[in-house]
Amino acid sequence: MICLRAWRWLAAFAFLLAASALGISPARATSPPVPDATAPVTIWHAYRGVEQATLDALVASFDGDVNVLAIPYDAFGAKLAAAIPLGEGPDLFIDSHERLGDFIHRGLVTPLPPETLEEAAYAPQALAAVTLPDTEGRPRRWGAPLSMKSLALYVNTDLLPEAPATLEGFGELTETLPEGVFPLAWEANSAYAHAAILGAYGIGLLTEEETFGMRGDGAERSLTLVLNLLKAGVLPEDADGALVTDLFRSGKAAAVISGPWLAGDLPDTLHYEVRDLPAVADAARGRTRGEGDAPALMRPLLTVESLMISPRGATHPRAAALLAHLTSAEAGRRRARDARALSARTDAPPPSADAFLRAFQAQASLATPMPAVRAMRAVWEPASRAIRKTLRQDMAPERALEEAARRFRDVRRPPPPPKDPTVLLTVLGALSLFGALTLVHRARRPAMRARLRASLPAYRYVIHGVLLVGVLVLGPILVGAATALFAGQPHQMYYVGLDNFVDILTARSGPLFASGSFYLVLIVTVAWTACNVVLHLAIGVTLALVLSRPLLKLKSVYRVLLIVPWSVPSYVTALAWKGMFHRQFGAVTGIIEGLNDIFGTHLEPIAWFATFSTSFAANLTTNVWLGFPFMMVVTLGALTAVPKDVLEAAEVDGATPLQRLWHVTLPMIKPTMIPATVLGSIWTFNMFNVVFLVSGGEPDGTTDILISEAYRWAFTREARYGYAAAYAVLIFLILAGASTAGARWIDRSKERA
Amino acid sequence: MVNVETQGLRKSFGDTEVLKGIDLRVPEGAFAVLVGPSGCGKSTLLRLLAGLEEASEGTILFGGEDVTTRAPKDRDVAMVFQSYALYPHMSVRDNLAFGLKLRKTPSNVITARVDEAAAVLGLEPLLDRFPRALSGGQRQRVAMGRAIVRRSKLFLFDEPLSNLDPSLRTQVRVDIRKQHDRLGATSIYVTHDQVEAMTLADLLFVLSEGEVQQSGSPLEVYEDPANRFVAGFVGSPAMNFIEGCRVSADGTAVHVGEHRLTLTPRETYAPAQLADLEVCVGVRPHDLNVVTESNNSLPFSPSILETLGPEIHAHGTFGAHEGVVAVSAEIRLARGVMVHVRPTRLYLFDQATGATLR
Repeated sequence: MICLRAWRWLAAFAFLLAASALGISPARATSPPVPDATAPVTIWHAYRGVEQATLDALVASFDGDVNVLAIPYDAFGAKLAAAIPLGEGPDLFIDSHERLGDFIHRGLVTPLPPETLEEAAYAPQALAAVTLPDTEGRPRRWGAPLSMKSLALYVNTDLLPEAPATLEGFGELTETLPEGVFPLAWEANSAYAHAAILGAYGIGLLTEEETFGMRGDGAERSLTLVLNLLKAGVLPEDADGALVTDLFRSGKAAAVISGPWLAGDLPDTLHYEVRDLPAVADAARGRTRGEGDAPALMRPLLTVESLMISPRGATHPRAAALLAHLTSAEAGRRRARDARALSARTDAPPPSADAFLRAFQAQASLATPMPAVRAMRAVWEPASRAIRKTLRQDMAPERALEEAARRFRDVRRPPPPPKDPTVLLTVLGALSLFGALTLVHRARRPAMRARLRASLPAYRYVIHGVLLVGVLVLGPILVGAATALFAGQPHQMYYVGLDNFVDILTARSGPLFASGSFYLVLIVTVAWTACNVVLHLAIGVTLALVLSRPLLKLKSVYRVLLIVPWSVPSYVTALAWKGMFHRQFGAVTGIIEGLNDIFGTHLEPIAWFATFSTSFAANLTTNVWLGFPFMMVVTLGALTAVPKDVLEAAEVDGATPLQRLWHVTLPMIKPTMIPATVLGSIWTFNMFNVVFLVSGGEPDGTTDILISEAYRWAFTREARYGYAAAYAVLIFLILAGASTAGARWIDRSKERA
Repeated sequence: MVNVETQGLRKSFGDTEVLKGIDLRVPEGAFAVLVGPSGCGKSTLLRLLAGLEEASEGTILFGGEDVTTRAPKDRDVAMVFQSYALYPHMSVRDNLAFGLKLRKTPSNVITARVDEAAAVLGLEPLLDRFPRALSGGQRQRVAMGRAIVRRSKLFLFDEPLSNLDPSLRTQVRVDIRKQHDRLGATSIYVTHDQVEAMTLADLLFVLSEGEVQQSGSPLEVYEDPANRFVAGFVGSPAMNFIEGCRVSADGTAVHVGEHRLTLTPRETYAPAQLADLEVCVGVRPHDLNVVTESNNSLPFSPSILETLGPEIHAHGTFGAHEGVVAVSAEIRLARGVMVHVRPTRLYLFDQATGATLR
């Protein structure tokens, strides 16, 4: 009977596998249906507040029926990608130009028909931003520029009536400014901000050939320059956006580099002006040998908000009219007036009274459009890491940049070539054929038929459960696992056999233990699991022993309090802990400062996510807090099964309390603790929430574990779903192997006990 | 071997006083049994001796040495628990050896002692088994063995037979006594079963309500109970009591209803003091015989017969009082008979205090 059931399962499995293999064949984008002329034009945007109100007002003044839909910013891209290929979604949509490369690749956007734009009316850098080659390599305009944003210099005029003309000039201000005021602040760790300095050296984050641009003498010197400013105390360390805002608001930074969004956070009482970013003297020296001393100005990245047309919108007769209406000079002026958005049109300048917007307009003319090609998405992570590593003085600029370039190549390297799936399909086909034949053969035997008929009512009882589990659980798991055999973008995946696995297991042909390699991450994951489980057990068992002592009063109160960490959703806990580890505002820093106040010591606040060990410790602390209640509850349960008189017998036999614990209590709760430990290990091994939310892999992905690494491959690095699925399958294999070994261990210890 | 003494030992749990001043005196090598109904404090007393509970007041002396505040491991006592309390994760051999290992006994000594105990208790074939693979009797023997290997000066038994089936109980009882005689260590044994108490004890302590009611050899306690409680507790079936009887004016007889029972002046009786006193009469079932004449007899109406084999216990009533008569021949139910009371075996108790009148 067991053998029979096994066969039946195998047949079903083979069938499902074959079905899912067929189901994965590349989905073709359906051609959009032709809308009729009277249908309303649909437009999607992610605006809020005044920007949304201004858009609504502009749409209302359009002669025609328009559907306006506001989509939350975080979901915007995903919604477009889901709706447009099905012929649903908007005719027009508004998004930043830097997503164009991806949109083009996915077929979410069509080029504007020639002559749509009054090209002469647009700022040239805005036009450049929306210009990308089509599939035949011809440059096309893919969107109508609406507004532009870039970084600029905010100067506190009370502290700094005259701002220095060069970045280096700020270094001389440390003496003249009041104590505790930084001359300048910006998010120095961010590649977006650093790109402005690179611009002064004539370097982009990405080269024309779509290779990693941050290489060579200029890039290294730009990093050294910032490092020197940091060392000289000109810039605050580890500044993020919140800190920059905070410093400038409170007058602790004489100037900051930030975008127009900062203004919303500044109080009216603060006197400030917006100016052009300073020049970089060092860059001028390098470049102007023999050319005179033309200033090497910082060139921030320019983001151009654009109105784009979907394939469906291209066929809609009224879409072009709405586009023209929304991009008119009049619309630009209105946006500038009502929403204080800097129009991309030169004939819609900011009101002359608006010095703020005019300053940004001046800066925009010096800005470089952010590259919109898809390769740009692979730049941010390695570039930011290289900057951080240099500024933290973990690595010389040259080596950090070299490593970054390697990581960029890793992510950008072409996916494996398609493989012929014949072998797989043949095997699957043969298997399912064999399974089906076996089934038929068995079903034809009279005994089997009688048995089938007899058990028919039973099948009726379970069939809905089987179907439900099959569709909701088994199906996704099989499809997910099968994805590991594919590569390419989500909408055009192709079969590559085991190439993904080979690639991962050979560490992408790099050194086996290079940063981010499977083996290094595996070691971190195992260390993470081991440290966690040991601490979970130690703390959980200790607390359970204390709680189970009859002497303790208010036991049930403590018990409830100690279970609380368990009852809070883990992501809430993780975010709370991340807040506590914040270097500036975190509770841990608060405690350190409190200690300094009380004892007069000079302990430095710890930058928890700056080094591997502190970052790992922060993750560990969070997960220990999350995990010990489980072990405590299990231990408490196990302890109730330890008879009191056995402990008393040991006491009379001459055992000290410690000996009783070691020789009697612990061996007696062991059979319960082993399965709990195995379970805890598996949970910890896959504890995505804590790692992703607390350290986020910081510093530089060193604290990432396998599951968060898999997530990054799927969702932050060019959507390599097949690659991520291969990681998931490997994780499954490791855990399955480990827990099988664990189960054997349990059986063995049961035999002994 | 050690003599055990307690002085004014008290123990309270919260507001409940469980032991109300116990004075115990167990000579070296004696087998003392603490017997009493459940809740009388006998187990608590044993746990105080073992050191598992702390005394609220009073002292415990082992061989004249004050051990009241010592931890169990420093008292050198061995204890057999009611549930046996074997270590479930250890083999029988390890169970036996555990106490010795803790005391850092050399391994060759451990082996020798374990083998010896196993031989004495017939545990050799079981040495490598785990407790869950043993029967109740076998577990009991392992628990005994665990006490024996320790060679302690004092053995404590906490109702060690109550989890065994009755047939095994008698046999193990004999075994325990044998081991005691072989080892010669002082033993203190707690039970609620007075048969066990009578058969095992050199020295019997009858406890009730946290106090020692009477101590002495089993026969002394049986023959000369100190009060009505002891008289009723010791002996099986229990003594019959007939309340509301009056001693005659000359003190030579006691009137039970209209029946007159002669009091044989025993050396302890003081007839003059008893004259005309209202008393409770006690007589053991075995001191009654079914007779035909009415001289020195009481009427008895049997209602239930318990046939034990050699004798029959007839349950019935003496007038308004329930009682039991042990008879050797069958009597007929629901028909009044006369039972003769042996005059020398009549006990008189004070109606109010329950003290034995002498």
